[in-house]
Amino acid sequence: ASGDGGAALAAGPGRAQVFTTVVDTFLEKLVAAGSYQRFVSCYRCFYKLQPQLTKSIYDQFISQLQASIKEEIQEVKNEGNLEGLFSSLDKIVEEAKDQEEPAWRPSGIPEEDIRSTMVPYLLKHRSHLRRALREKEEENRKVAESVLMGRDRIAELQQLIQARQQAWQ
Amino acid sequence: MSVDPMAYETQFFGFTPQTCLLRIYIAFQDYLFETMLVVEAVMLKKLDGIPDCKISPSQIRKCTEKFLLFMKEHFDKLFAKMEEVLLQLVLNIPKNVLLPEDRVQQQYPCSKEEFQALQDEVQQLQQQYRAEVALEQALRVELEEQKIVKAELEKTLQCFDGLDNICREHGLGNFKECFAFLTQSAKKLQNVLKEVEEKSKKLKQHDQLT
Repeated sequence: ASGDGGAALAAGPGRAQVFTTVVDTFLEKLVAAGSYQRFVSCYRCFYKLQPQLTKSIYDQFISQLQASIKEEIQEVKNEGNLEGLFSSLDKIVEEAKDQEEPAWRPSGIPEEDIRSTMVPYLLKHRSHLRRALREKEEENRKVAESVLMGRDRIAELQQLIQARQQAWQ
Repeated sequence: MSVDPMAYETQFFGFTPQTCLLRIYIAFQDYLFETMLVVEAVMLKKLDGIPDCKISPSQIRKCTEKFLLFMKEHFDKLFAKMEEVLLQLVLNIPKNVLLPEDRVQQQYPCSKEEFQALQDEVQQLQQQYRAEVALEQALRVELEEQKIVKAELEKTLQCFDGLDNICREHGLGNFKECFAFLTQSAKKLQNVLKEVEEKSKKLKQHDQLT
């Protein structure tokens, strides 16, 4: 029985469900193999002596084994946050269901793999620089114009002064 | 036989699936042995309390070993099947699946050459920008210098204009011509004075001699 009533996104049972089912099946079959008959046939001498106790010991053995196994599974699930990871993975797999091509996998060479990670930053940087450069060039064009005009004005003033000087000779 | 390292799965889960299953296997096995030992201990204790018991501890040990051997065989078989299913269906990432954290790999595939070109372009833009900043500096410095020079020149021009205005106010229309004439006259007078001085000197000398 699934403990989570949330939406089952996957077409089939989710990974958490499969995990639980598989472990339960394992336990079931193990217990079935270690049946009471088998137990008795191995401990025949004791059984002859203490049939009722044998049954009681067997029952305890089975229940203890089951409890330990279930506890271990729960611990593994908790430590690794498996429930969360399973449901995430189910979602990711579901979203990729239309992808037919094999997906990218790490090449094992960090320099190769890191390129794509850095590309978006480089692209952003490049567009930022392009804009800043354009603005700066525009600004400078205007300032250069002022400078040229200033030079003309200074030449003009110098000419006027020269003319006055000559008039006073 | 090559073992699939399941590196991508490890990236996602934070542990290697095989290691996880190995841990579980060992734990289960331990529990099986432990529980069997408890069974044995309980039986031995019971037998201890029975006087004239025909069953020896070593007999019980043989029973335990028999049962355990049987259990272990089934245990291994069942576990192997469980492991197979878990590795294929639960602890695996299908080949067509890309983890969200790796999405950039799909969005921005980039060869070594393309990446280098991009880096070079960025570097070039940075250099160009720095050049423009330097140019801006130089232009602004000149602009400041021009301001000072212009101010000086304009002041000089104002002086000249000022003089012209004074002349006009005082009705000296052609002050400049008068001034020029005066300057010339002053020079002529100076020359005449010099001639007179020399002539008088000569006369005095002549007088002294006679």
